Amino acid sequence: MLTLFFDFARRFARNRAALVGLFLVLVVVGVAIAAPWWFPRNPLRIVGRPEIWPFMSPRYPLGTDSLGRDIAAMIAHGARTTLLIGLCASLTATIIGITVGATAAYVGGWVDELLMRLTELFQTIPNLIFVLTIVSILGQKIEYVTIAVGVVTWTPIARLTRAEFMSLRDREFVQACRAMGMGSLWIMFGEILPNALPPVIVLSSLVVAGAVLFESAVAFLGLGDPNVTSWGQLIGDGRTLIRSSWYICAVPGLAIMLTVLALNLVGDGLNDALNPKLRDR
Amino acid sequence: MSGFSRRDFLMTTAGAALASGFAGSSKAATGAPKRGGTLVGTWGGFEPQSLFVPAGGGSSPYFTSTKVFERLIRLTADLKFEPVLALGIEPAEDFRSYTIKLRPNVTWHDGKPLTSDDLVFNAIQYWKPISAGVTLDALQTAEAVDPLTVVLKFKVPVPEFFLKSVLAGKAGLVIPKHIYDGSNIITNPINNTPIGTGPFKVKEWVRGSHVEYARNDTYWNAGKPYLDKLVIRWWRDPASRSAAFEAGQLDIGTFNPIPAPDIARLTATKKFVAETKGYSNSAWITSVEFNQRREIFKKREVRQALLHAIDRSFIADTVFFGRARPSLGALHFSNSIFFTKDVQDYPFDVKKAAALLDAAGYPVKAGSRFKMSLVSAGWFEENVKIGQYLKQAFEDVDITVDLAIPDRATSLKRIYTDYDYDVAVSNNSASIEPIPQTTQYYTTDGIVKGAAFRNATGYSNPKMDETVSKMAIETDEKKRVSLVHEFDKLAASDAPVLPMVDLEPVTIARSDVRDHSLTADFMGESWAEVWLDR
Repeated sequence: MLTLFFDFARRFARNRAALVGLFLVLVVVGVAIAAPWWFPRNPLRIVGRPEIWPFMSPRYPLGTDSLGRDIAAMIAHGARTTLLIGLCASLTATIIGITVGATAAYVGGWVDELLMRLTELFQTIPNLIFVLTIVSILGQKIEYVTIAVGVVTWTPIARLTRAEFMSLRDREFVQACRAMGMGSLWIMFGEILPNALPPVIVLSSLVVAGAVLFESAVAFLGLGDPNVTSWGQLIGDGRTLIRSSWYICAVPGLAIMLTVLALNLVGDGLNDALNPKLRDR
Repeated sequence: MSGFSRRDFLMTTAGAALASGFAGSSKAATGAPKRGGTLVGTWGGFEPQSLFVPAGGGSSPYFTSTKVFERLIRLTADLKFEPVLALGIEPAEDFRSYTIKLRPNVTWHDGKPLTSDDLVFNAIQYWKPISAGVTLDALQTAEAVDPLTVVLKFKVPVPEFFLKSVLAGKAGLVIPKHIYDGSNIITNPINNTPIGTGPFKVKEWVRGSHVEYARNDTYWNAGKPYLDKLVIRWWRDPASRSAAFEAGQLDIGTFNPIPAPDIARLTATKKFVAETKGYSNSAWITSVEFNQRREIFKKREVRQALLHAIDRSFIADTVFFGRARPSLGALHFSNSIFFTKDVQDYPFDVKKAAALLDAAGYPVKAGSRFKMSLVSAGWFEENVKIGQYLKQAFEDVDITVDLAIPDRATSLKRIYTDYDYDVAVSNNSASIEPIPQTTQYYTTDGIVKGAAFRNATGYSNPKMDETVSKMAIETDEKKRVSLVHEFDKLAASDAPVLPMVDLEPVTIARSDVRDHSLTADFMGESWAEVWLDR
């Protein structure tokens, strides 16, 4: 097991960009974890004069926004929101996607037809509009934003899982399992899934990046949860000041860009490490 | 109080009746008006649902319809009534009837003359049942005495300033009988291409973009309008409006068209001016409303405590960049006729707020006094910030706050239909005359489930109702002013809903746009006298 992990780590590390990505992701995670100790006060508190530029005051290293809230505190606490939504949404999407894809491929027949048409139905609805619709129906709560993002991003995972399952379900080891009398569920999730998982994990890591962007878009449009701070919300609030105090948008914008970039790089690294075809290149 | 009396009204109406035009303004001193040119205008909001919405419909259709439809009279910047379609409106001795003299030789855009028949139709079939509603409840009959004279008869005495305010206000547009008679005024498709008496005719409405108006060459006020063409165009957000100004695509924008920080930047170039005049008869406020259906907020002491917990200067200075003032009482400070300082004030004082809450029976238990659902109506960007600020302000007195900032439709539903809030942040614009726009927030008959911008708090106080009904029939203007003061005092001390800040909206215009913002409600004016100095 340990050698397997080292093997994985070695292959991941071969991709230098992925290492940079991993480093950035770890930094964001570190900031998110440290936020309550670093900025113990409610980040949405008004603490100083509005529109202090970054690096002008040692108390507010990243400046203050149009209401006089500390941008550094909002970025740090916003990292928690952003990562939490990203991870939970990705998890939701992965669970839905794997369930649908695996069932469709394994059972086949009319179930496959039905599930794939359903997937296509979801794919035809523009993602952002779908997210906004769900949020405006359910309400502006962080849980609902997470569910909404999960609900719109599961389709590629379902299709990928289905494709992997299709190619695996008639292999000899599966037939052997069947011959041994194993139950369908056990074969699906105990035998086929572990073999189908690597590309799905890569895709899920990319869904995290997509979820971060969706959350930002929702918050930017003012449909986020006003009780928690988030990067998109900060950009949305600073939008009208873009001509005079552009840093209010730029700082969280940079944070979103770096995080999404880093997650994509990590995804690439995972692809290199998990793709068996690249294993001994 | 400015010098204001009944004699002033009569003198203005009679005196101005002699002049066919309007008195010259200080701005006109820059030279004789030039004819020609196209003016592109906008306002700080979105496209209307229809160019004319007979039952009201908010500022957007009001803006587009008033270029086509006119009213009998209008209110000048110094709050005097000036004739438009009427040459005079005279009350009888007992104030139970009013005689309206129409201006002769006014024609509709389709060439038909404006007559007393049109006016009778408006009074009985449009104003009373649709646009003015309960405001004109007392109106009994309208009789055409001759082709240019109409007598309105009322059940009770009607104060002159009140009636004239209604006629000069949003509800008083004069629509053509020959087009609307026999149809459903509210749903008539002609509302998208209205035909009026005004200086501009609707040429084309390109949905999602703009409406183009052509000059009315047979306008009754000879020589006007000065513009050849008027275009009202809509932009989705303030920042793109300021870009449009700078790109030369936009000449004038009313009601805070651009982000406040951009105002100084644009005016510094000297190519643009920022004008705060022209809003006194549609004075905007941001208010806080306390739902009386909730046990906690039914207590007056709680409401007063919460008002003490709000730093209104912070809202005015930081959220509105100084373009607002902390409110005092229920009336806007710019209301020079009825505003009074002699009302209960709520200076920012956290300690006092906490003490009042303790005394009201809500001490801090386990870090919190009680939970509050705070709904800040998301139709203005400022309300987002105010909501966030209020959450903090109330948390500072140990109240647990759940903040929601829903979109326009959801906000209207939660506040005015479902009453699903504890404390709400909302806005409204009020005329100088407090009945009904201001009073309907406080009277029992103002409670109409589903009707927006009225009594949504469920507040009901017989003394308040009595004061307002006295105001409605008091014809002595001096006594009426003191009744309004009495109303304001009660509203301020009971505080079911109170303005937090009085807004000072700004009009941004290119400096070569002349003679704008000269009346008490410029946005709803016909813009016949606006001209371009190019």
